[in-house]
Amino acid sequence: MHTVAATKKTVKHSVTRHKKNIIQIGFHGMITAVLLAVVFMVPDLYAAKDVRASDVRIADSKGDWGYPNPYRHYPRGPGYVRMSWVFDTLVWKDQKGYIPALARTWSYDSDKSAFVFTLNPGAKWHDGQPVTAQDVAFTIAYYKKHPYQWVSADAVDRVEVVDDHTVVLYLTEPYSPFLSDIGGTMPILPRHIWKTIADPRACDDPACFIGSGPYVFKDFNKTRGTYLFEAFAAYYQGPPKNKRLIYVRTSKPLMSLATGQVDLANIQPDMAGPLDKKGLIIIKNERGWNKKLMINHKKTPFNDRVFRQALAFAINQQEIIDKAHRGFATPASYGLLSIDHDMYNPDTPKYRCDPQKARDMIASLGWTSGQDGFFHKNGHPLALELISSSLTVAGESVADRDGEIIKKQLTDIGIKVTLINQEQTTTDSRVRNWDFDLAVSGHGGIAGDPRILNEMISSSYGAGSVNCARYDDSPELNALLQAQIREMDAAKRRQIVFHIQEIYARQIPAISLYYPDTMAAYNKDTGVIWFYTKGGISKGVPIPQNKMSLIR
Amino acid sequence: MRTRQHKWSRPVFAYLAAALILVYLSYLLPQLLPGDFVTAMYAGADVSLNALQEAELKAYFLDNQTFGEYLGNLVRLDWGYSAAFFAPVSTLFFAALPWTIVLMGTAHILSSFLGFFLGVEAAWRRGSLVEKSGVGTMTVLEGIPEICTGALLLLVFSLHLGWFPAAGAQTAYAEQTTFQWVLDVLHHLTLPLITLVAAYFPGNFLLARAGMVMVLKKQFVLTAKAKGLPPGRVRYAHAARNALLPLVTRFGLRFAFMVTGALVVETIFSYPGLGTLLFNAISMRDLPLIQGIVLFASLMVLVVNLCMEWVYTLLDPRVSHAS
Repeated sequence: MHTVAATKKTVKHSVTRHKKNIIQIGFHGMITAVLLAVVFMVPDLYAAKDVRASDVRIADSKGDWGYPNPYRHYPRGPGYVRMSWVFDTLVWKDQKGYIPALARTWSYDSDKSAFVFTLNPGAKWHDGQPVTAQDVAFTIAYYKKHPYQWVSADAVDRVEVVDDHTVVLYLTEPYSPFLSDIGGTMPILPRHIWKTIADPRACDDPACFIGSGPYVFKDFNKTRGTYLFEAFAAYYQGPPKNKRLIYVRTSKPLMSLATGQVDLANIQPDMAGPLDKKGLIIIKNERGWNKKLMINHKKTPFNDRVFRQALAFAINQQEIIDKAHRGFATPASYGLLSIDHDMYNPDTPKYRCDPQKARDMIASLGWTSGQDGFFHKNGHPLALELISSSLTVAGESVADRDGEIIKKQLTDIGIKVTLINQEQTTTDSRVRNWDFDLAVSGHGGIAGDPRILNEMISSSYGAGSVNCARYDDSPELNALLQAQIREMDAAKRRQIVFHIQEIYARQIPAISLYYPDTMAAYNKDTGVIWFYTKGGISKGVPIPQNKMSLIR
Repeated sequence: MRTRQHKWSRPVFAYLAAALILVYLSYLLPQLLPGDFVTAMYAGADVSLNALQEAELKAYFLDNQTFGEYLGNLVRLDWGYSAAFFAPVSTLFFAALPWTIVLMGTAHILSSFLGFFLGVEAAWRRGSLVEKSGVGTMTVLEGIPEICTGALLLLVFSLHLGWFPAAGAQTAYAEQTTFQWVLDVLHHLTLPLITLVAAYFPGNFLLARAGMVMVLKKQFVLTAKAKGLPPGRVRYAHAARNALLPLVTRFGLRFAFMVTGALVVETIFSYPGLGTLLFNAISMRDLPLIQGIVLFASLMVLVVNLCMEWVYTLLDPRVSHAS
């Protein structure tokens, strides 16, 4: 009996030990597996890296910019640029200005008020069909029926197809941004595909992505925010240098660039030095984007020009640049157009920071200084609300740091400021509905065609944009804006644009603050030399992803 | 039998009522966001719309469906169509869900097992240097937010050492074998996973330890020790099982908040899960997509709660007797 009990005890003990061993083996196994995984994963063992030799990878912090065709890309620069790899325009731009694209030559016939384009006979669609003058005529007609959000085809009255490769576009009336809009922005559509498409926004058939550009659209992964384009070997300007073009979503473009995950990324200016030391090439853009202060000029006291001018005198542009941007920006012209623009007027009125002058101007409007340090009128203090929010600059969301400094500068002259930091769409919505006093905003395009003045000043052109001042109170300014659009003589147009800048700066319906330094860095090992386009891609997109970088 | 039916029907009705309220809230709350899709997409764009174009776009994109229509569509399993992505909401949702499950599921399971095991061991060695330093370290780690851990890991292991990629769940469009693909996914998963485990593990450790310390004082543990049972069995079969309930509750709650919990880490590492999808949907005011994800996230809380009630009774029969 004793023996049986002892045996049972031994067996039980042995089972317990066995279980214990199994647990121990399990834990040791797990630790070994984790260590092995780390050993396998940490070094650059990827065969995947080998296939990257012919790839070019571009970082993008948002990822999703819609599908790359004219009706499905998002209405911001990165969306247009993705579409531009697939669809060509009649003319294009590089570092110096306009260059041939589908049109080998072009000229303006002032007598007929028409542009004549001679197409490149080697141009082909991705399905092998030739690009002809009929395609251009069809595109104009199609855009009149189904408007393309970036440009209006209304400027073209009729189209004459002279032969397969010559087309004449007759203007409805003189239209000075024609080359920028119709020539350099409007993507040409293949007639044989789009003639049967009734609802272009709903088309997700692969045929709707057949263009005549250097790359063929292969994939857009909506969840991962990645795009894949493959080189079009029969491209009429020569086959692209790199077989595959890939967009990668990364919330840290700089880090992805530094770790070799991508080959091109926008960077913060203060990172230029360290990246340069790592052997990356740094490029800097012209000043084509401006931060500005939107003013609700429909509301008292902002509806008074003197008050708006006082605000301009109170704001110290250089202090904002030094404190919020460590000096990496340039004070902006009050006339809206970039100081790098060919039509920039150096005599545009300036508002050199002068707090005393600002105080005097406000006092001249009947406001009196109170004991609390703020202006008062009818027993009420001069108080306003300033909205700031993160803004999308060249496709990247950039947090606002200017609101605090503007608040301090306005407080210093006796205005009680409440600063509110809101999400971008909420701010946009409030500005659109005139439900604001002051709002920090910004936009690009100011180094492109001066049509941007119309779009950012007049409600007739830019009612839907939150960056548009929607200022129609000056008949003289309205007339000049109309005139510059109709003036085909470059020298005369320049004079009108000069005059617009002067009046705009005097009326000051919004205050331009500064042009931030815009930079990008790229890996030269891919063989691509990236550059910023003069005046920005198409209508002024300040992104260094010009398709010519991969062609020449 | 009647009592049994009554016992089950009451919570089921309560859950159904709660589900209906959540469906209504998922319909209503996203609509209260300021702005709409056309404003978000076009207002600050490089395109300047005139009033006519804006009205035409609003008519095309904005779908003002009533709650009845919304409910009817849900019953027909029609989640709507995303205006921003030009795709059915369900397609987008199920494309993002696996990545969230891989990241969040692994993080929860790892941190729960590690927290439980080390918490139990620490409580067993109460008063020792290991236990004291462990509690101190975990209390400090518990206070560090995910965003901070994530940024530090990125800085050290991605930027300086270059061991791990800074973003994404896999190398985009890499031509790989299945084995290489698995390694690639694991490689991308490492940093976000460590970030989440570092965020969840200390809490689990402290909770398991605290529960275990209480249980170890109970009479039945003393009895088990007195019977001469091996220490491992006393720890895990007798004591730890009774200290497990709070940890299971925490696991359930964390799992229920999978979508919102993933938002920060997914955004930092550009991980393509539901958190990133929700973030993009909100910034673009893509109403059907927001509604779909919010509805799923809120129903998930209900489902997990329901499951927890069942798991409690399995782990500790006293719970069912008490109810």
